[in-house]
Amino acid sequence: MRFLMIQKPADTQPDEKLFAEMGAFVEELTAAGVLLATGGLEPGGLLVSSHGDEITVTDGPFAEAKEAAAGFALIEVGTKEEAIELARRFRKIVGDGESTIQQVFG
Amino acid sequence: MPEVRRTIDAVWKLESARIVGGLARLVHDVGLAEELAQDALVAALEQWPTAGIPDNPGAWLTTVARRRAIDHLRRSSRTTEINTEIAYAEQPAQAQDDVLRLIFVCCHPALPRDARVALTLRLVAGLSAAEIARAFLQDEPQVVRRIAAAKQTLAEEGVGFAQPPGAALPGRLASVLEVLYLVFNEGYSATEGQDLIRADLCREALRLGRMLATLAPDEAEAHGLVALMELQASRSAARTGPSGELIPLHEQNRGRWDQLLIKRGFAAMLRARALGAPPGPYVVQAAIAVCHAQARTAADTDWARIATLYDALVRLLPTAVVRLNRAVAIGFARGPAAGLAEADALLTDPALRDYHLLPAVRGDLLSRLSRHEEARREFERAAVLTRNHAEREFLRRRAAESRRAAESRWAAESTPGAAPATLGTAAAAFLSRDDLDRATVRSYGQTLTRLRRALGDSLPVAELTPDRVATVFTTAWGSAAAKTWNRHRATVRSFAAWSSLPALAEALDRRPETAQPPPATPPELPESPAASLRERTLWRLLHESSAPVTAVLALNVEDLDLEDRRARSGDRWVTWRSGTARLLPELVAGRTSGPLFLTDRRPPPSGTADRCPHTGRARLSYERAEYLCKQATGRTLSSLRQRGNSRSRLSTR
Repeated sequence: MRFLMIQKPADTQPDEKLFAEMGAFVEELTAAGVLLATGGLEPGGLLVSSHGDEITVTDGPFAEAKEAAAGFALIEVGTKEEAIELARRFRKIVGDGESTIQQVFG
Repeated sequence: MPEVRRTIDAVWKLESARIVGGLARLVHDVGLAEELAQDALVAALEQWPTAGIPDNPGAWLTTVARRRAIDHLRRSSRTTEINTEIAYAEQPAQAQDDVLRLIFVCCHPALPRDARVALTLRLVAGLSAAEIARAFLQDEPQVVRRIAAAKQTLAEEGVGFAQPPGAALPGRLASVLEVLYLVFNEGYSATEGQDLIRADLCREALRLGRMLATLAPDEAEAHGLVALMELQASRSAARTGPSGELIPLHEQNRGRWDQLLIKRGFAAMLRARALGAPPGPYVVQAAIAVCHAQARTAADTDWARIATLYDALVRLLPTAVVRLNRAVAIGFARGPAAGLAEADALLTDPALRDYHLLPAVRGDLLSRLSRHEEARREFERAAVLTRNHAEREFLRRRAAESRRAAESRWAAESTPGAAPATLGTAAAAFLSRDDLDRATVRSYGQTLTRLRRALGDSLPVAELTPDRVATVFTTAWGSAAAKTWNRHRATVRSFAAWSSLPALAEALDRRPETAQPPPATPPELPESPAASLRERTLWRLLHESSAPVTAVLALNVEDLDLEDRRARSGDRWVTWRSGTARLLPELVAGRTSGPLFLTDRRPPPSGTADRCPHTGRARLSYERAEYLCKQATGRTLSSLRQRGNSRSRLSTR
């Protein structure tokens, strides 16, 4: 089962310590063989919307910043509970904030 | 509370290797380490539902298990030793090293291959015995027994928890890689999709492989195996059609290949190459997989390069299956006739006698040479030999296509339409005559079944030539006893006379049957240093006493007369010589009564019959003893007895 973990932007700025801990966490997941891909995302980005034949591209940032993604991790595990356990560890490192976990189909 | 249970399972899957590895470093015994870890798991099951799931579940399990390990050490050894042990075990940043050692111990060469697989999945991947049993289509008790026996073997062999020394590392690593690839293939060949746990084996193997490659980053073959598995896994969605039918590589929709896994495979391959070592078998196989992954369409495939890689692989891994794959590559790189020549050279290889892919490959090459009738027969033969449902359907489809192609040619050449007699129909008619007794039918049946499997039921009788029959004979019975050869030859002669093909057996010489003289010296007892003390004693005792296996297994400790080297078993005496006499005291080890040969498993709580009063273990069963003997020596227990002089050693009262 693959799960996409998405991290919402946090209010606080990341510091050196957080980066070091995140690095160790990513290494641990890689060593455990469960991390397929991970990365941070630029704030804002572009919004592409379609309406009928019309495609509109809008530059960010957007009002609903809380809904945006700051980073992601694609993991491969056996059960949803394993994904939750990994997300739990991740949240412990990054402090207050939110992540979502969604199963990836296909 | 099923939710807590699921969380515990999840934590266990993620942490078990590190927990068991850490404990094994402390207690120097993998089996004991796993039991201690299981104790901690039981404690979690008891406490978490009421106390709540702890903040850091993995650390909680580790702490509880470690406390139990230290208690265990305090009970069993001296204080100073313990403090050193604990200080050593408390060293930080050893977790990864522990996991690597654990993998090596689970794949120890002293263990049979099945046991290595089961132990690795249990201890490193954290699978339950039930999950392993389902994945390998076995009984759960069977898996439980296998794991227990493996732990016992490790304990008896004194396999501690040390890293394999440098010189032994390549061999030991090869054993680890073999186990992981076996697990992967077990999952990969499960194409029916009914039992997802089987496909999950691929994920477990990949996870363990990625883990291994991170822990042993300097081993090119570990990266090679990861690359191979990532690339094969990238095709898993494209391998089967909507109704579960198998789609061959060159017909797959490459848009369904998983690009993420392909990239991961390429990256692993680059890591392997960067190490600069001469490529080993996994790196070469991965390089072949890379060639396929790089081809945008099947027609773009660089078959010349693949054929060259197979040339290299055959040198590293000269197995019949690799040579067959090489024939496929040559068929694409240098044309079907060249490929067929390579495949034909394998027809006499006994290893491929019942391997469905040999006729499947030949069928494909023959059909590309427009030899449709022969192709059809090969596809039909392959369909009979395969055990995989999806594959059988695929081969039947190819056979039907070849039939249509052959018929349209016949129509064009206007050959007579009457169906010719085939080997299958002729053999069936021959065996259904009513003048044959049942024993003859069975004996004839064995010969004809072999011919039908090797040549195909649909071979026209007119094409059944003496040479073809001789090839089948050489492959099947070339190394069999003269008597066996002659019996099958007699069948062919009888069949030839019946079917008016008198020359059929002319390429088969009758072999002289010399009466086997009884061996002057009894067969040597096989040396098997890897066997446990119990096995060695049992085999030696059978060898020296020539007593029936049941009589030896029935021996009790209290019946032994070590001084006079004899014991009563029922109404007979069992006597032995110096070899057994040397081993027995160690096996008895202070026991005063109860069965001499005990099982290596703990008994279930109930049941009172025939147990050791010291350990509670039951008497070793004939089946188990026979199994272990066959595994270790390839011989039956009974064959270890010296028959020639049994009478002098056995007196019956």
